[in-house]
Amino acid sequence: MATDVVGEAVLAPPTTLATGTRARLARFAPFVPAGLILVGLFFVPLTLMLVFSFWSTNERLDIVPAWSLVNYENFFRNPTYVRTLLKTLVMGAAVTAACLVMAFAVAYFLARYVSRRWARLALLFIIVPFWTSYLLRVYSWQAILGERGALNQVLMGLGLIKEPSLLFVYNDVGTFIVLIYVYLPFAALVLYSSLDRFDFTQLTAAQDLGASPSRAFRHVLLPQIRPGLITACIFVFIPILGEFLTPSMVGGASGLLIASLVANFFKNLLIPEGAAVAFLIVAFVTLLLIIFRGYLRVEDVYTRG
Amino acid sequence: MASEVDPLETMPVSRYAGAVRWSLRIWFFALIAFLYLPIVFMIAFSFDESSTPGLPIQGPTLHWYDVMLNNRQLLRAVANTVTVSVVVAILATVIGTMAAFVLTRGGLRYPNATRIAFTLPIMVPGVLIGVSLLIYFARALDLHLSLATVIAGQLVVTVPFVVLIVSSRLQGFDRRLEWAAADLGASPRQAIRHVVLPLIAPAILAGALISVTLSIDEFVITWFTVGNEPTLPTYIYTKIKFGVTPEVNAVATVMLVATLLIFGIASLVLGRARRLTGRRRAAPRA
Repeated sequence: MATDVVGEAVLAPPTTLATGTRARLARFAPFVPAGLILVGLFFVPLTLMLVFSFWSTNERLDIVPAWSLVNYENFFRNPTYVRTLLKTLVMGAAVTAACLVMAFAVAYFLARYVSRRWARLALLFIIVPFWTSYLLRVYSWQAILGERGALNQVLMGLGLIKEPSLLFVYNDVGTFIVLIYVYLPFAALVLYSSLDRFDFTQLTAAQDLGASPSRAFRHVLLPQIRPGLITACIFVFIPILGEFLTPSMVGGASGLLIASLVANFFKNLLIPEGAAVAFLIVAFVTLLLIIFRGYLRVEDVYTRG
Repeated sequence: MASEVDPLETMPVSRYAGAVRWSLRIWFFALIAFLYLPIVFMIAFSFDESSTPGLPIQGPTLHWYDVMLNNRQLLRAVANTVTVSVVVAILATVIGTMAAFVLTRGGLRYPNATRIAFTLPIMVPGVLIGVSLLIYFARALDLHLSLATVIAGQLVVTVPFVVLIVSSRLQGFDRRLEWAAADLGASPRQAIRHVVLPLIAPAILAGALISVTLSIDEFVITWFTVGNEPTLPTYIYTKIKFGVTPEVNAVATVMLVATLLIFGIASLVLGRARRLTGRRRAAPRA
């Protein structure tokens, strides 16, 4: 830290203070490729998708530029679609809650009872699965939850069930378990980094002043790690709104989520219809991101461990 | 920590503290087991003689590795994935690092809004980016879907990662080091080359690594932007959808080992870099 320096240099040498249009442009130039990618390959396609969502498809699957809200109307008129949307929100909330609780217990353990060095190693262990093929990790759950899967074999071996159960796979239970599996590491990382900064002697102090352990926990610990809890929620909930792979692998026909609808529309070349559903998700995600914009430290989440 | 015992640490918090601590410890190991279970199965099935993965595992056999090595399409998909990930990583790292400099050094009028704009592609679910790019490439630009469109699609998420990671490092960067270099006669270019870049190298490397691993594993955006030439994830997906293919487990095992090797080497390099640069504010080496 530079607090002990007297007469600290706070002004940049004049060369870097060059002004004028030409200097500004020269300074801006290195940004151009990234700016083009962000605008040209992200904002423009999304805007185009919004435009397409107001158009429609004729019988020959051609796109007709006839402006209307019919795709959105059809979506909200169709009870199956609305139910899928609601189910996605419930699933997202349930998975987020489960991840938060499960990850909190681990993060608390690592931050409070384990030396920082071992905690780092433990976090590394938690992240490593995250860096292996997402597709194949989900795929191997089929072998665990499936009819001939390990879980059934174990339960039958223990004599708890007589016949292989199909309770765990190709339905919402399967999707629920696998989604927790996929997003748990995010929650653990985020919660650990906020618990790591918490001074646990405060809990002792609170109890010294007469608070019960649970009260100290609720009124001293939780308020201080609130930003971490919110970040964890966002990092689990939002991706679930875009999940179509996990439902397609372990969710079966009944386990579709909202993004599966998008993928199916596009597979059947019903592009305006799919674009409308996709845009509903985009709008919802954007809304969440705007509300919680203060909690989006993406680089902190990804560069840990 | 000091060697004397901190009285606050030894003060009994609750009668149940010991029990809580033990149950948390058990919980931790249960969770690790949960996270590694599918990976263990994946590896075990890659050595399973039976062609329908399930318990009990028979074997061990290297048959599926043999099948894998003789599968032309699969090797082709691997080659495509390697090409894509190398191109993506190089482009994303260079483009992202350049942008990070502008973002943190006053070249933009609205740096905070720009930073939020760069978090959007990371936070918006991939499926939405994928379908919007599909419309854009196939319907608006009338492009032929190919590995080039896959690379373009993956840059949408990898560039922002590099921008955010490198700019967060640049923000903590002590610019007086650069001014000192200028004072000692370095041109701005020399100062960046010999002072700034070596100090932010860990962040650049981290960005490059994230780009490579994201690219190798990227399925969702790739699925919508891929043409006739599959990448490994899209190839595996079509195989899985088509039927049970145990050689997929062999591929996954090889990929796992490869990823761990990349990360092992990278963490060694990063550890070395950290030792060379010393703690955060330590003076750069003479």
